[in-house]
Amino acid sequence: MMSCKEVADRASAVIDGELSGWEMVQMRLHLAMCRGCRHFLGQIRAVDQLASSVTELPPEALREEALSKLRADKK
Amino acid sequence: MRSDQRKELETVTRLRAGDRIAFNILFNRHTPSMIRVANTIVSSRAVAEDITQDTWLAVLKSIDGFEGRSSLAGWIFTILINKARTRARRDGRTVSFDEGGEDNNLDAAFDGHGRWKDKPELWDEITPERIVAGRNLAAHMSAAINELPPAQRAVIVLRVQEGLDPKEVCAALEITDSNLRVLLHRARLSLRDRIRTLTS
Repeated sequence: MMSCKEVADRASAVIDGELSGWEMVQMRLHLAMCRGCRHFLGQIRAVDQLASSVTELPPEALREEALSKLRADKK
Repeated sequence: MRSDQRKELETVTRLRAGDRIAFNILFNRHTPSMIRVANTIVSSRAVAEDITQDTWLAVLKSIDGFEGRSSLAGWIFTILINKARTRARRDGRTVSFDEGGEDNNLDAAFDGHGRWKDKPELWDEITPERIVAGRNLAAHMSAAINELPPAQRAVIVLRVQEGLDPKEVCAALEITDSNLRVLLHRARLSLRDRIRTLTS
């Protein structure tokens, strides 16, 4: 059976859907019995969600400069 | 055709017609990530902004030539990274994403049998809006991403924030699939450590 360390090493592979069928079976078996590893996987998923939630405004001047250069090039 | 592909085709059609609203939506969505990725290659944020502006100009000029062989975002980021590489070479900078930075492995977290010494806790109150140390966790995450080594930063932005396909990321950064996996995993572990430190 997989150890907790092996589960943790494969956490990204689980999230990205990259485990083979057999590895996934072993993973599910371990996760069914190990709360710590379930929490760890949840933490890595939360990292992705937080990273995806980052919203920033683009510099407005950059947009205007790009568009004015485009207009100048077209003339 | 999937709905996201249909939407993308519609965006491309609108850009070709000079639709300013379509451009603004695309610009707002991708520009912060573009500056971040360019900044992993060139020397400063100011240069990264210049590269990003040049990229938008190139995108608008050559949108007629977009053939849809990659996603629109993948195409835009490939133009950006090529421009940034050219600029970096001109400035005498060496650019490589093969180096993943320090190995942030978890060995110390396990006993000799590979079991957790301290079991990870449930993160049931970790939300982007939660305020910790004066700002929300999304803002902390943004700062933490900026502090990652360049290669890890680039892959977390392209794969997680921008949702690019792994093949597109590997092609744009000129790295192997296994290198991408290692970089992404290390980046996630570093960001987890940062959030854990903040919230524990």
